[in-house]
Amino acid sequence: MKKKQKINYSKAHAKYLKRLKKDKFIVIFWQIFLFLAFVGLWELLSSTGAIDPFFFSSPSRIVSTIGELARTGNLWIHIWTSLYETLLGFLIASALGFIIAVILWWSEKLRKILEPYLIILNSLPKIALGPMIILWVGSGTKATIVMCVLICIIITTISMLNAFISCDKDKILLMRSMHANKFQILYKLVLPNALPEFFSVLKINVGMSWVGTIMGEYLSSRAGLGYLINYGSQMLQLDIVMTSIVLLCILAAGMYLCVSPLEKRHNKQIT
Amino acid sequence: MKDFLQFKDVSYFYQTKENEVQALDKVNFSVDEEEFASLVGPSGCGKTTILSLTAGLLEPSSGQILLQGSPIKKNDSRIGYMFQRDHLFEWRSIWQNIKLGLEVQKKNKDEKSLAFADELLRKYDLYNFKNKKPRQLSGGMRQRVALIRTLVLKPALLLLDEPFSALDFQTRLKVCDDVYDIIKQEKKTALLVTHDISEALSMSNKVIILSSRPASTKKIVRLNFSGDTPLKKREAENFGKHFEMIWRNLT
Repeated sequence: MKKKQKINYSKAHAKYLKRLKKDKFIVIFWQIFLFLAFVGLWELLSSTGAIDPFFFSSPSRIVSTIGELARTGNLWIHIWTSLYETLLGFLIASALGFIIAVILWWSEKLRKILEPYLIILNSLPKIALGPMIILWVGSGTKATIVMCVLICIIITTISMLNAFISCDKDKILLMRSMHANKFQILYKLVLPNALPEFFSVLKINVGMSWVGTIMGEYLSSRAGLGYLINYGSQMLQLDIVMTSIVLLCILAAGMYLCVSPLEKRHNKQIT
Repeated sequence: MKDFLQFKDVSYFYQTKENEVQALDKVNFSVDEEEFASLVGPSGCGKTTILSLTAGLLEPSSGQILLQGSPIKKNDSRIGYMFQRDHLFEWRSIWQNIKLGLEVQKKNKDEKSLAFADELLRKYDLYNFKNKKPRQLSGGMRQRVALIRTLVLKPALLLLDEPFSALDFQTRLKVCDDVYDIIKQEKKTALLVTHDISEALSMSNKVIILSSRPASTKKIVRLNFSGDTPLKKREAENFGKHFEMIWRNLT
């Protein structure tokens, strides 16, 4: 890195920087304001009785529910179960989907043979397989992970395969004119070329794997946030439902924040 | 060496579902060593097919292609190919891009090859950009990097497939001069495909005019303009005359 040089830019430049700063401030201000306004209004309306806290819960009730769950020790079990299922499902699906896409790229014949199956699997609502999954692998964590993998893997495979195939034909020709074998073309060209797509698939998979986990837990589970939501709604304890949803938001956002720096780092590398 | 590259009655048919399309019909020409030859012809006449055949990416349906007296093999290692666009890999630095061919051929630890790559970079004013990414270079510099990437593998024959067509006109004239200079300095034999008559005239010693599809050799013109760069050659007095003659042969 070069040392930062001190250059005296014109007044217009200073003005420009100032405007950028101001724009950024406005965005952040409104983001925080919206959050506080939403929470505040929610609290206000429920405490004055404008909305029924029994059905809509309220921020303060959510906080006390979290405290209660933490005291009984169940909070961590539920969070950990869901997080574990999601992370495992996410990793398995992303890795397997990637590998399958590589295999399908490698063999055009196989790709043509499997194409209709991929299309059907992609359009099939995976939740329909729920009962079968429970019969095959048993209920609980395992079934949830399988559901999670099923939901993510098809979209991973299809997106990655498309990214591999869309590699510039002339670039492949260039590699061939240098006598690259197929493995070198894959390793030196097709994979690095598809890296941006891989990151965006990972980001999609963060959301999809949470869908899989919650659906899996709805179907059959004894722990997890999906279980908690289901349990809360059946017991008409909407505080528990709302609390679980808030926790879900935090966890999903946290996972997204872990994935997106990978992409940013890559983008920085190529510029 | 005379007849460094020879096309002898080369025909080529493209197979499609509906029918067979003849792209080349008994093409005959030859290029001597260190000569710069250009292929011109009406658009879609099969110029790129000739390059693909020469590179060994396609096989002729009939006839023979000889390089240094021996037939072209599949993916012949004596050939260097330069494309319309530079096709530098954005995720690699300039140095890594230049090393690509060496890596593929497992020569990236070979000190002689690396020293040669280094020398080419220095000679053609790219050394300071060694660690930059392609995105940080101008179009003309990128094309020079692409040429060096090809030259590092020491090909006997360079194939240039409209290597300037993606550049704007100003850059194009400049890069034309640069590339010509590099090819002459490295004493390479080159075969250029272009649709730009003045580009062909200003760069080559020999212009091979092809007929429309299926292409056959219509006329071969030897050139000897005064001036040592393509740009200077454009000012030669009989340049316009030749331009007109070729243009008439194309239509």
